[in-house]
Amino acid sequence: MSRVLLTGATTPLGMEVIGQLLANDRTEAILTVARNEVNPAHFGNDPRLHIEYADLTRERDVRTLMNGPVRTLGINAVVHGPLHRSALDQGRGVHAMNVESTRSLLMGLQSHPTVRRFVYRSFSEVYKLEDYLPTLIGEDHPLEFSRKAPQRVRDRVESDLSVCALQGMIPCSIAVLRCAEVLAPESGSQLWDYLQSAVCLRPAGYNPIVNVASLQDIANAICHALATDAQGVFNIPGADTLPLSSLVSRFAKRSLPIPGPLIAPLYRLRTGLLRTEFRYDLNRARFHQNGALDGRRAKEVLGYEPQVSALP
Amino acid sequence: MREPQPWAHSPTSQVPVIIWLLALLRVFRFWRAFVRNSGPRKSSEEALIRSTEIANSLREMHNERMSHEGLKTAKLCSMGRMKDTPPDSYDAFGFLPKTMEEALRPARWLHRNYFRVRSYGAHNIPKTGGVIVAANHSGALPMDGIMLGVDLFENTNRKRYPRVIVDHFVERLPYVGVLFSRVGAVGGSRRNLETLLDLEQLVVVFPEGTSGVGKPFSERYKPQRWHVGHAELALRHNVPVLPVGIIGAEEQWPLLARINGVRAFGAPFLPIPATPLPLPVRYHIHYGAPVDLVAEFGDDAACDPTLVDKAAERIRAAVQSLLTAGLKKRKGLFR
Repeated sequence: MSRVLLTGATTPLGMEVIGQLLANDRTEAILTVARNEVNPAHFGNDPRLHIEYADLTRERDVRTLMNGPVRTLGINAVVHGPLHRSALDQGRGVHAMNVESTRSLLMGLQSHPTVRRFVYRSFSEVYKLEDYLPTLIGEDHPLEFSRKAPQRVRDRVESDLSVCALQGMIPCSIAVLRCAEVLAPESGSQLWDYLQSAVCLRPAGYNPIVNVASLQDIANAICHALATDAQGVFNIPGADTLPLSSLVSRFAKRSLPIPGPLIAPLYRLRTGLLRTEFRYDLNRARFHQNGALDGRRAKEVLGYEPQVSALP
Repeated sequence: MREPQPWAHSPTSQVPVIIWLLALLRVFRFWRAFVRNSGPRKSSEEALIRSTEIANSLREMHNERMSHEGLKTAKLCSMGRMKDTPPDSYDAFGFLPKTMEEALRPARWLHRNYFRVRSYGAHNIPKTGGVIVAANHSGALPMDGIMLGVDLFENTNRKRYPRVIVDHFVERLPYVGVLFSRVGAVGGSRRNLETLLDLEQLVVVFPEGTSGVGKPFSERYKPQRWHVGHAELALRHNVPVLPVGIIGAEEQWPLLARINGVRAFGAPFLPIPATPLPLPVRYHIHYGAPVDLVAEFGDDAACDPTLVDKAAERIRAAVQSLLTAGLKKRKGLFR
């Protein structure tokens, strides 16, 4: 696909995807969407790059976008993902950014004359982690439907399933990429924020295996997905599979095991004082339980293999 | 009014205060380190500038060095070459060959000097390819699994790491769960087993499960409820099943009682052994000939529950016959 609409372009991942797409000579046009006015010079001066301003939570804006610039530029592929990154915010506005924007885009695609490919960037957070479930997470792994799950997780599951439900029902092929956590700043990464403290607390007696990805790998997976017509769900693992304590030590931080029940209040206090992003309730399961995405399907169908370590 | 005690103003009376102050200082230093963090979040134009900086710096950093470790684990992660796990890399199940080698030292001592394991028919262990090793299970603590694991490793010239399948609650146990996963134990879910068989691993299962561990002394060497999952997977993946009879483990640590009401960390019961330590009973591990279930029951047998039951019964009978023959040959409990 040579003409791409990319949402979330102002994030580090968006910038990386733009960089990789522009490095490919076959890319004819990239249309990025920003909510507020930004200086186009930040994206470089490539004539193939176009910026459009729209609020994707407003259905009217999405319709205008899809029937205006997308049609004019002959965009044939859309890359989209949940737009809200902070784990602290809740409410209808956040839901609109994560779920309603996806739904509006999908509605716009149902009879669109040019778009033939939709790549949805989802998250490994949508999977349920329990000790009775497989350690290696396949695409058919149970999803997190718990009523106790935080809004961030519920929104992502809802959005993911909204996309999955339309596979084969609209005239464009859909690929859902359930990506491992990107270990980079400003990417909504819980682990990144966790690793910013000089002391990182973890539950005593547990040292689970985590899998993290680099920006380059996830951007690379998106580019691979754009290059094919393959439809379905694909797990996108990162290059680094290691225990939590090793991850902490690789960032030259101190890992301090303490009794599990003490961790949540301490991190709540930290969040309350400093508005930091890490929420232990979001990560409790993966701080106790091994879990890594099985990337065999992505390797076989998309040709994606993780290459770049996210570790310092 | 009480008179002050003579020791009240001595220098030693200040020690608790000093200890408290030091402790407070320590807590304060810990808190300062804990809350040290990056600044507040940015948005809009600032976010774009920041994103550009981040993307550029990460790109430069990774262009400078393509991490060898990253590449190695990348291959593990895409599950293409897990059987070639480098000794210092973790696989997705948390297995670390280096830890396995270290854990083998005390286990090997127990194998040689405490339980004085003798193995028979070790030539039957397949040297390559996926295989399911099915054995009887017993003992208040699963020492038979550890001894069988060591014996398999030793009898394959230390080339095949046995991947022992454990009950789900084991992973939940603090410290124990971590140790087990580092030495190659894997939680007993279907997909985990399928992944291991796809990667041609030596998979050790105890079809009796926890009912074997908790069986009363009077039921020794009588396999309890025999699960059928191993037979179905062997049929589906066309791998042989190696029946194994472990003699000695069923007497090593007789159960005095089992408390069913206590379900700490999901364990089905709390065993109360009759002795504080396992008895130094000699282990005799008998390996039978590998059973090709597909040849016996057909290609489509995995889809037929009746045939799967028969295939599992075939393995149970093979294990039972190894136990019966081994018990006849045994000269005594400790010999």
